[in-house]
Order: sequence, then C-alpha cells, then structure tokens
Amino acid sequence: MMSIKGSEAKLVTITVDDNEIQVPEGMNLIEAVSKSKIEIPHYCYHPHLSVAGNCRMCQIEIEGRPKLEIACNMTAQEGLKIRTHATSEAVKNAQASTLEFILINHPLDCTVCDQAGHCKLQDYHFQYNARPSRFVENKVNKAKAKPLGPTVVLDGERCIMCTRCIRFCDEVTETSELGMVNRGDKSEITVNEGRKLDNPLSGCVVDLCPVGALTHRNWRFNTRIWFTKAVDSVCPGCSTGCNARVYSRDKNVVQVKSRRNDEVNKDWLCDEGRYGFDRFLPEERVIEPRVGSESSSWEEALTGATSLKGKKCVVFLSPDLHVEEYEVLKRFVEQVAPESHIAVSYRERSLSKLEAILMSPDSAPNIFGAEFAKLISDAPGDAYESALRGLNDGAYDAALLVGDRAILTEDLNDAVLGKLSHLENSVGIFCDSNTDLQRACKVVLPGRSVLEKAGMFINRGRRLQYCERAVEFPQGSKQAWRILNELSEKLGKKITTATDDRALTNWYLEEEGRLAGLSIRKVKAGGVDLTQYQPATTNETETGVQPRS
Amino acid sequence: MKEHPQILLKNIGHDDQHTLAGYESRGGYSVIRQVLETDPLKVIDEVKTSGLRGRGGAGFPTGVKWSFVPRDSGKPVYLINNADESEPGTFKDRLLMEKDPHLPIEGMMIAAWALQANWACIYIRGEYAYPYMRTVEAVKECYEKGYLGKNIFGSGFDLDIVVHRGAGAYICGEETGLLNSLEGKKGQPRLKPPFPAVVGVYGCPTVVNNTETLAALVPILEQGGAWYASMGTEKSTGTKLFSASGHIEKPGVYEIELGTPMRQFLEEQCGGIRSGHELKAIIPGGSSVPILRADEIDSISMDYESIQEAGSYLGSGGFIAMDETTDMVEAVLNLMHFYTHESCGQCTPCREGGHWIEKIFGRIARGEGVPGDLELIDNLADQIGGHTICAFGDAIAMPATSFIKKFPDEFRARITEALKGTFQNNKSTASELGA
Repeated sequence: MMSIKGSEAKLVTITVDDNEIQVPEGMNLIEAVSKSKIEIPHYCYHPHLSVAGNCRMCQIEIEGRPKLEIACNMTAQEGLKIRTHATSEAVKNAQASTLEFILINHPLDCTVCDQAGHCKLQDYHFQYNARPSRFVENKVNKAKAKPLGPTVVLDGERCIMCTRCIRFCDEVTETSELGMVNRGDKSEITVNEGRKLDNPLSGCVVDLCPVGALTHRNWRFNTRIWFTKAVDSVCPGCSTGCNARVYSRDKNVVQVKSRRNDEVNKDWLCDEGRYGFDRFLPEERVIEPRVGSESSSWEEALTGATSLKGKKCVVFLSPDLHVEEYEVLKRFVEQVAPESHIAVSYRERSLSKLEAILMSPDSAPNIFGAEFAKLISDAPGDAYESALRGLNDGAYDAALLVGDRAILTEDLNDAVLGKLSHLENSVGIFCDSNTDLQRACKVVLPGRSVLEKAGMFINRGRRLQYCERAVEFPQGSKQAWRILNELSEKLGKKITTATDDRALTNWYLEEEGRLAGLSIRKVKAGGVDLTQYQPATTNETETGVQPRS
Repeated sequence: MKEHPQILLKNIGHDDQHTLAGYESRGGYSVIRQVLETDPLKVIDEVKTSGLRGRGGAGFPTGVKWSFVPRDSGKPVYLINNADESEPGTFKDRLLMEKDPHLPIEGMMIAAWALQANWACIYIRGEYAYPYMRTVEAVKECYEKGYLGKNIFGSGFDLDIVVHRGAGAYICGEETGLLNSLEGKKGQPRLKPPFPAVVGVYGCPTVVNNTETLAALVPILEQGGAWYASMGTEKSTGTKLFSASGHIEKPGVYEIELGTPMRQFLEEQCGGIRSGHELKAIIPGGSSVPILRADEIDSISMDYESIQEAGSYLGSGGFIAMDETTDMVEAVLNLMHFYTHESCGQCTPCREGGHWIEKIFGRIARGEGVPGDLELIDNLADQIGGHTICAFGDAIAMPATSFIKKFPDEFRARITEALKGTFQNNKSTASELGA
C-alpha cells in the first residue's frame, strides 16, 4: 500500500469498467486506475508536477456526470464509478479525437526524429486511434532546432504543448526559465526573455517531454533507439543514487534517462550525472597486465601481486566499487595482509542550492556501501585522509589501489606520487591508462569501470540498489573482485566460488546476514531501505525456497 | 409601446452623471450608507431574494455564488469586477462605465461589504480606453472624498479598489483566465475545481462578478430583492441590458424587463430590421451562442429559460440581427476567425480543432469545399465543445454547428458550386468526390 503524504491513507473501493478495485483514498485517479492494470493514457499529467489538465488524453466517463472528465484532476473517492476506453465509446472517441487534433500540426517526421521508438505520440496513436487523419489543410510552422540552453534543443512543431517542461522549471527547480508565448495553434514553448535553460537539472525536461520536441543537444541524431541496449542502472556520480535507464550502443552510452523512484530521485537526474554518466569510462584503457615497465601475462602479474602478502599495506579504494566488491576486498585484506590500512577516497564538496535539490555533496556513489561492508567507520573521509598522511610519512611498505579514483586526482601531488613509486610493492587495478596513479604502480592489472559490471550500491539514505551492467567491457579486463579472488586463490584459498557478477551478488546476499531474505529481483524493485529492512530469520529463508504448491 | 423600467440606465442621459457630484445629486452613494449598517449576511439574503443572475453570460445566481465563499478560511476575500467585456456584439458594460461609472463602483462597495472583502479590483478590457479613464477618475474621486480607502463613509469598514487594465485577450474575461492575468501570468483559464470562490486570486477566496451584475445591486438594495424579483419572469428576474447590433434601425444598449417577447424587442427598441430588408437570423446572446433563424423567434421571449428552450442562450445579451443580405458562410468564418485567434492555446481540442474548423470554413468560403466537409466540422465541433478546461471550446463549437444546422442549404450550395468548377476542370475528380 502506498502512503500518501506520510500517512497511511484509508482504502476506498472504486469501480473501473465494472471491476471493483481498492485504492488509497485521495489518490490521483490516473495512479489509482493503473492499479487495475488499465492505463489511462496521458501526456500532461506527471506524478511529481502540478496538474495542468491541458492534453485531454485522460478523459473518462464518471457515473452521474453529464460530460467526460479528466482523470488527472480527480482523486479516488469511495463509490466512484468510472469507465475508461475499455468500455466507453464516448471515451474512445474523445481519445481518438484528441490524438487526431494533436497530430494535425505535428510534422510526422518520425523518420528523422530521435523520439521515434520511444514516443508517446506514436504509441498512443497505435493504441487509441490508428486511423488515417482527415486533415487536408496546411500545417502551422514553428521554430525548428531552437537551442533553449547549453543542453536542450526544441523543435516547436513537434511540441504538443503539454507544458511539463514549463512546470518542471517552475515547480522543481523554481528557476522559471521556460514559458509559453502566443495563443491558439501559434502557441510555442520558449525561454523567457533574457534567460536560457541552464539549471543543474535542465536535462530532465527532455525526459519529461512525451514527444520529440525537446532533445539533448549532445545526443541528437546519435542512433535510433531500437539499435540500443537499455539497462536499469544507478548513477555513479554521487551518493544520492539516482535511478537511471542507460541506453548503449556498442561500447558507448548514447542516452541516459531517469527512472522513477519516488524514494530516491522521484523522476529526475542532474545534468552532471546524466551527461557525465560515462565520464568514468576512460578513453585510453589499460588493456593488459604490466609488471614494472613491461607488459606481462596475467599469471606473471598475479605472481607479482602476491608480494603483498603479510605486508603492512595501504589499500586505497575507489568509492564506486559495488558492495559485493567491498566485501571481497575486506576478506582479501583480512586473509592476505591483515595489518593493512583500508581507505575509500572521499571528500565532500559544496553544492549550490539548485544542485542540492538532487545531488549529494560528494562524488562517492557507494561510500555508504563501504560503510556497510565495515571497511570504514566514523566520518567517511577520515580513513582516507589519514591513509594519505600515512603514505606521506612512510608508514606503509606496500600499496594496493583499486579503481581509477582510488586516490582523488586533486591529491595526486608530486609528494604522494613520489612516495607511491618508491614503494617496493604496489599493485593497482585500473581502467584508465593515462593517469599518474597508474604509472606510479609497480604491478598493474586491467580492471573494469563501474559501468562495465553489475552489482549493488548503497546510497546516502542507506537504500540498497542494484545496477545492471550498462556497457560492454573490453576484452582482457576483469572485475576487481575477480582479480582479488584469483590472487587469494594463488595465496591459498578462494574467497568466493562466483564466476560472474550475478553469481557474486547472489553469493553476497547469502553470506551477509543483514541482507538475509533478499534476492536480486527484490533489490531491483525500487531498492531496499536498509534502515527499515528486517532480515529474514533462517526459518523464513528456508520457507522461501520451498517449491510452491 | 411597452414601457420598461429603467433601473440601470435611468441616469445616463445626464451630462454630469459620470462625476461624483452628478452621481450624488441623483441619490448616488446613499444606498451603500444604509448597507454598511446592515448585517452582511442579510445583504446576501436580499440578493438571493432578488433572483439576480450573473450578467456576464453564464447566468448563475449571484447570491448563491457569494454563499460559496468560505467565511472562516483565515484568508482575505477578494472581489473582482469583471469589466473585460469582449464578446463580439456585447457593449453594455462599456456604456455603464462611460456614462455612469459610479454605479458599478457603489455596487462593488455593496458586494465587498456583503463578502467582507477589503480589496477589490476592476479588470477592464484593454481596448476600453475611455471607460478605463472614466473609471479611474471615478475611483480617484471616491478616494479623495473618503468613500474608498480606510473607514469608508465612517463605517469602520476598509475598502481599496484597484483599476487594472487588461492587455487585449478575450480569454481574460473568463473568470479564472482573468485571475491568472491579474496575477501577472499568461491569461489561461484554470482547472476547476477548485472554484475561485474557494481558491481565487493569489490562492484566496475570490468572487468575480460582471459589471452589470454589480451595478444592479444598487437598485436591489435600495428597493429590496422582492421588488426586483417582481419584474421579469419567475427564474429570470429584473431587467437586463441588451446590446443590439446588426441590420437594425436603432442599434444601441437597451434595458428591458426580462421576459419581453423577442419580436417585440426587435420591433420596439431596435426599430425593426433596416427598411427594405427582412430578418434572416438572430444571435441572441453574444456571438458564441447558437444562431436562431427568423422563423424561430416569434415564440421566444427575452429571458434565460425561453431562449435556452429554443436551443440558444441569453448569454451576455449581445443581440445581433442579420438581414437577408448576410452571407452565412462568410459570417461564420468571421466568427471562427475571431474565436480561433482568441483560443488561449492551452488544451488540445480548442487549440488544434478550432483552427481546423476555421480552415475548413475558409476553404468552403473560397469555393474549395468538398462533400463531407460539413459533417467533418460537425464531428470536430462535437469533440471540442465540452472537452476543454473552460467554456471557450463551446464558444467555437456552438456557432460552427448551429450555422450549418440552421442554414445547411447555403453551405451545401457553396460546396456544390465549388465542385462544378472542379467538374469542368477535372471530370474524374468530381465523380470520385461523389458530385
């Protein structure tokens, strides 16, 4: 049951096309009816924006009312009886007409439109109209390819005037860059005089646009959506853990959309996260292991890395490793070099008021995963700062560095790099070959970036979330957990029997008592709030795996 | 000739009626002095008794509208005088504001007292320059004499009136479009519910009344609701201003008792159709209401119920008469041009469908109509009217369908003529089109 405004709303019975359903009282009717597996089509309605009621797509019949009403401006009340397109001819006609009206001035340039294939206008036309237009007059011409700001471009002719973009800028960012000018069919969306659309969440208006009117300037004409592979991921930009849907083609991210999660990011993504989703995918890759200055085989490199055993080691970790990897790392260190000092790079940054709508003051997507794995305690940055000081003071005789951001670029001064390169034993697992950090290490193993593997993050709100692998990994690279597992096998005993990311997650969910009863499927469904989660007892877990009768 | 009680227009013949001195010399601002000593709820009851209905077009009972205002919301109540008179064929409020601007202002004072509103606004149509000047002067005079501002007429009641000039959009006469415009937003009607009586300007309870409605409060509170209700018919009480225009001998604004036969009004007040011509059609309540044919009007009287029974509306009282020289295709195209131009562009059916209808009528008028056009217009209008946020969709749909329904032969003839041309040029096309 969904809670409304923090309180558990009372359930009421409404009748949708002769079927009774129970929904929370006061719930928006579009949301409520979706519980009956019937979709009320809509363009202008959005659960996190005010109700505009202008598209007229969500018209429904209500018993006792003479005219059709719009579902978006109504709430569930006891005894309400409604009919949707499924059983009402009047509703069917109204929706078909609305689509016909919307399409008369629409350019129908689907062949060159980025939205084709994920366009609500296309979808609804086939679902609710699918008849040829009766319009034989001239279409209205409006501004084409008009930049609204650095990130977004408008095609005025494709616009259906749902005003979601305007309402987003008025209500969410409260920056009010966008407005509507002119009247009637000359109406256009525009940036208000002297303004440009350049707030830190500007890309959201493209997600909100149900048609191809607003597109990302950097991703326009990249590819047809049906050639892409889409996965559900979590933004690796900061510890907010915004849910995202990542579209990739070959090894490239070609578009990122927000994925609705009312508990985390509602339906938004910040521009830094969206447009920089692949900023952790380096251009120049470590493609083979290296020992000293020579390329080597995996065998040689792993053998070189065994030198860490028993050393007083400093372990610097990227803040974007998955929780499972942190667990593997913890066990590796306990097993191989228990005297070591583990640190996860972390430093807070200041955010503007607008950035703070969504962003967390860090660049560490899984710092709270490291905390959960008990790699760090107290203030998240303390271990990191003291490890840096220790390195400078010559407190360690070896170093293990995992991930390109194991030490933040801002900290890679000559002193730190000098100390690192003078260590007799230093092992790094990196993706980016063009870094001083990589060059400073004695043994380097090719790792995978955060987008090239699947696993779990824990966000600032202590919500466990699952990220699928977004892009193809380069041949010859291995996940950090796998490299460490092989290394520990070489030194005596395997940490896990898992051979792929999915198996590792399942292994971790079984091993970690605090997560007992969870499965990947459960974590994927909106994430799991760990502050509320009650781990299943052993009995429950057992019942859970019994075959269904 | 029947004598009609002149309760709104009785003083407009005096040259100095627009001045405070002139207005007061004829009993002006005496009613408000009494009203300020009456219980506000009694004032509302008196208006309910009078049966006064909103004169802006919808005809909703004024006293009932007032009673929707929550009295203990903790928020201020606002009163708006809707003087954004823009319906083609309607110019009655203009006359009041030009000739007797203090009358609606006194009416506003009465309404403000009844609603306990301390802030009121007169929203005047942008094009009404002269009425605006007269109104501003009248308000200024009132402030100078202490009739507005703090402690008006020494009653302890405060009332400020702001005169706001619109920017020329028809849709700002729609009460929620007006509220948005007043707040500095684009003049687009709001979704209802909530209604302005609960959530109006700046989110506070607001009453929006037409200028004529407010003016009528003065005689009602002077002589009593029962007296007002004794005039007119049972459900359409009192008198009403009609703006008569078109092919008549004496165009102008006339105050008549509601319930007067339409034919009588046409002959007596309007002086009949211009000589040598005969009546063809009448639009009885402003250009957005359905048109009536000459042969339909004999049984109609000028009141809300009778006109509605005949399939049209009394609306704002914009009485437009047309004689036999009127080309109905051109006439409806003219109206469609106006309404599509004024569509705010907010909701889909009105924004897109209105222009579509205009384009089809344009084609028919140019001699490029094809069979099926009229049915298409009918079908489109059916999907516009009643499918939009405000009543503007109906303002497009009603003239479009009623012109075709009442004068089908004229439209068909235009299309057939067009086809003859096509036929001469291209035989196969014409036969394909079923000519």
